[in-house]
Amino acid sequence: MAGSVIALFLGVFFGFSLNKAGLTKYSKIVNVFRFTDMAVLQFMMTALVVAMIGLYGLRGLGLITFPAVPATYIVGNLIGGLIFGVGMALTGF
Amino acid sequence: MKFSLNYIRKETWSPYVAGILLGLVGILAVWLSNSLLGASGAFENLAGMIGKAIVPAAFANMYFNFIMPPGITSGVILLVGVFFGGMIGAATSKSLKWGKPDAVNSDVQWKRTFGPQTWKRWLLAFIGAIILEYAAGIAGGCTSGLAISGGMLLAPAAFLFIAGMFASGIVTALIIYRRRY
Repeated sequence: MAGSVIALFLGVFFGFSLNKAGLTKYSKIVNVFRFTDMAVLQFMMTALVVAMIGLYGLRGLGLITFPAVPATYIVGNLIGGLIFGVGMALTGF
Repeated sequence: MKFSLNYIRKETWSPYVAGILLGLVGILAVWLSNSLLGASGAFENLAGMIGKAIVPAAFANMYFNFIMPPGITSGVILLVGVFFGGMIGAATSKSLKWGKPDAVNSDVQWKRTFGPQTWKRWLLAFIGAIILEYAAGIAGGCTSGLAISGGMLLAPAAFLFIAGMFASGIVTALIIYRRRY
């Protein structure tokens, strides 16, 4: 039950940040592939850097342990990414 | 205080500020529930649940038994939160289109590229979403579940995925927009 509340809470902020970054719009997503609007990359990379620093810092302090890291299988990840890009540029989601 | 309130009401934030917020959410996800953010997995959980109820035989395979267990997982609840969070974000900037006439297809650029028909938008979104979900199944996550959540744990898979995503995304955009690129 507590887990569900946390998930809902996290989801709300996740959706809120996506909306405020404009990633809920078709044009934002597609324009990053046309190099006319780099908001998606700026948003993703900022989130990555902030989270990397926070997570590795907290782990260094012994406050958290990492969950299972997404598995690496080079061909699957790459091919998945390649197909994913087609869908992303088509739908803009 | 007034400044921050006004900032919340803005329709589009600086992507850096929104990115910091998402980064903090990502940290909290690991800290509070020892899990990662993700969106595409939830659809597979739901699909597995519906599929098991209708044609159990077709869904009794390795994938749905072990990799993506069907049911209302925390990912599904997270997705519900994303839905409402997005609506709250739009409501604070008064750009929520719920019930408005152009709610189904309001993107100016899309109309300029493909025409004003709404059914085209829905058809393309439907086909594209099938491609997205299938690809997320192969790669083991989507933009949020693999690229961002994996990337912040420095998983090599995430960076392979991002590279592939941009390579084919750019090519697809080139084909769609041709001379207008």
